[in-house]
Amino acid sequence: MADKFWLDKEAFLKIAETSGLDTADRHMDELYAFVQQMLSNLKDIEDLNLEGMEPFMPALPAKEGSR
Amino acid sequence: MTSPELCFLSAAQIGRLFQKKELSPFEVTEAHLKRMELLEPALNSFITVLADQALAAAREAEQEILAGRYRGPLHGVPLGLKDLYCTKGIKTTSGSKLFDAFTPAFDSTVAARLKAAGTILLGKLNMHPLAYGPTGENGEYGDMHNPWNPALIAGGSSGGCGSAAASSECTLTMGSDTGGSIRIPSALCGLVGFKPTYGRLSRYGLTPLAWSQDHAGPIVRTVEDCALVMNAAAGYDPEDPTSLDVAVPDYTRCLTGEMKGLRVGVPREYLDVPLDSQVKTIVWKAIGRLSDLGAIISDVSWPIYRYCTAIASAIQMAEATAYHSQLIRTHGSRIYPPVRLRLEAGFFLSASDYVQAQRARSLFYRESLNLFKEVDLLAGPTVPVTALKIGTTRVNVGDKTSGVIGLLTQYTRPFNLNGFPAITVPCGFSDAGLPIGLQLAGRPLEDETVLRAAYAYEQSTDWHLRRPPLGIQA
Repeated sequence: MADKFWLDKEAFLKIAETSGLDTADRHMDELYAFVQQMLSNLKDIEDLNLEGMEPFMPALPAKEGSR
Repeated sequence: MTSPELCFLSAAQIGRLFQKKELSPFEVTEAHLKRMELLEPALNSFITVLADQALAAAREAEQEILAGRYRGPLHGVPLGLKDLYCTKGIKTTSGSKLFDAFTPAFDSTVAARLKAAGTILLGKLNMHPLAYGPTGENGEYGDMHNPWNPALIAGGSSGGCGSAAASSECTLTMGSDTGGSIRIPSALCGLVGFKPTYGRLSRYGLTPLAWSQDHAGPIVRTVEDCALVMNAAAGYDPEDPTSLDVAVPDYTRCLTGEMKGLRVGVPREYLDVPLDSQVKTIVWKAIGRLSDLGAIISDVSWPIYRYCTAIASAIQMAEATAYHSQLIRTHGSRIYPPVRLRLEAGFFLSASDYVQAQRARSLFYRESLNLFKEVDLLAGPTVPVTALKIGTTRVNVGDKTSGVIGLLTQYTRPFNLNGFPAITVPCGFSDAGLPIGLQLAGRPLEDETVLRAAYAYEQSTDWHLRRPPLGIQA
């Protein structure tokens, strides 16, 4: 993997196999193209300044006991 | 009243007639079952029809009402549930033949509460397989068809809710929404679809797609019916770890017809994405109507909006793949191919991709709250196009070509990511006679403001009174 948003075919097949997918299935080429597209979409997130940001947790209001 | 006329009544209207004993649940249930018989060959809204059970329940409701044991405004009203709501003793497929033999031993909380309110369950509604798609196409149980033109999609993933409510096969339907699955079919079928604040309606007993973005909610024909459903179904549920333990208001009390002084923002970024020119004209005219009603309209900026799809998709894919991982490994080749592709792709996201997306989501949430310091509501289109031909995968809008999934969800997804309440109401029709929806979104737990504005708008128009041409005279 030279680029974190791009997978070479070999790495793709390795992850597919490790994940329990049937790498001999004929839809693997379609999946490969789809995965590349998905990974390239992640680049957008890298543009954001996430300094100080923790992973999202729903902000649940305090219990009112008024069910 | 003729049989179709009975089916066109809203739940609120039916309830009032039941209470006055001028109409019986049995008559109304029978009329809906007849209508389903007539329309199902064209629409395919249902996976399971519960005719005998519904008639028996209607007879029981009738006896209870006659005996003075009236349970409230939904007593005896016909209901359809998206087929991912677990229903005790009733097959629940999640739209996939892989679950064709799955019969839960319990009711989902929302199904149980609506049952306790006295609704009559007519059946389980068709859906995009595993709720993973916005079109309502289903290669296993058959596609759902739009009542305004059966060659077109009903939208998804709650497509059966859209086609059944718009065609008046059901008075009330309940869907679920992870990226727009309540609001998209509602907009494309000319309905009211409400995704409440995350945690307002229990998710217990609904097949998950992506836990942190899944919402339950009604798909109905009027805002008042939305409020009635919320009154019956909302409330804390210890079985759902994200259920909100806050008081439930009487949602009908906010339906005043008044929205004077409400500040409504229209994000200018909504124009940076593909938007059909007719949809734009009609939605902006509807926003003008909000102004006529006394709302203060302003142009606002929401720069992080453009990152929403990337953030929400990464989270959704990781969660959906995690939930279905065993199924993918053991029965992958039997999953509807477009859904299988998305599910398998989730294996290629890393833990750090997921966490980064959740950090970005925190930023998105914070910026959304900041935006709502300037306004009380956001307004815009629900869907940027009208219903598409079944089988469409890419669409030209203006000079841009877009994939269907991204296009249909571009305006709805932000409110799954931040969990804010959002509604779609019918706001007009295209030249081809297809419905268009106006989306209004509010601050978390201000569901009443959203319903109040939607009701005021709805009551100032007659779009919600229009019916698709199917079976009018039957």
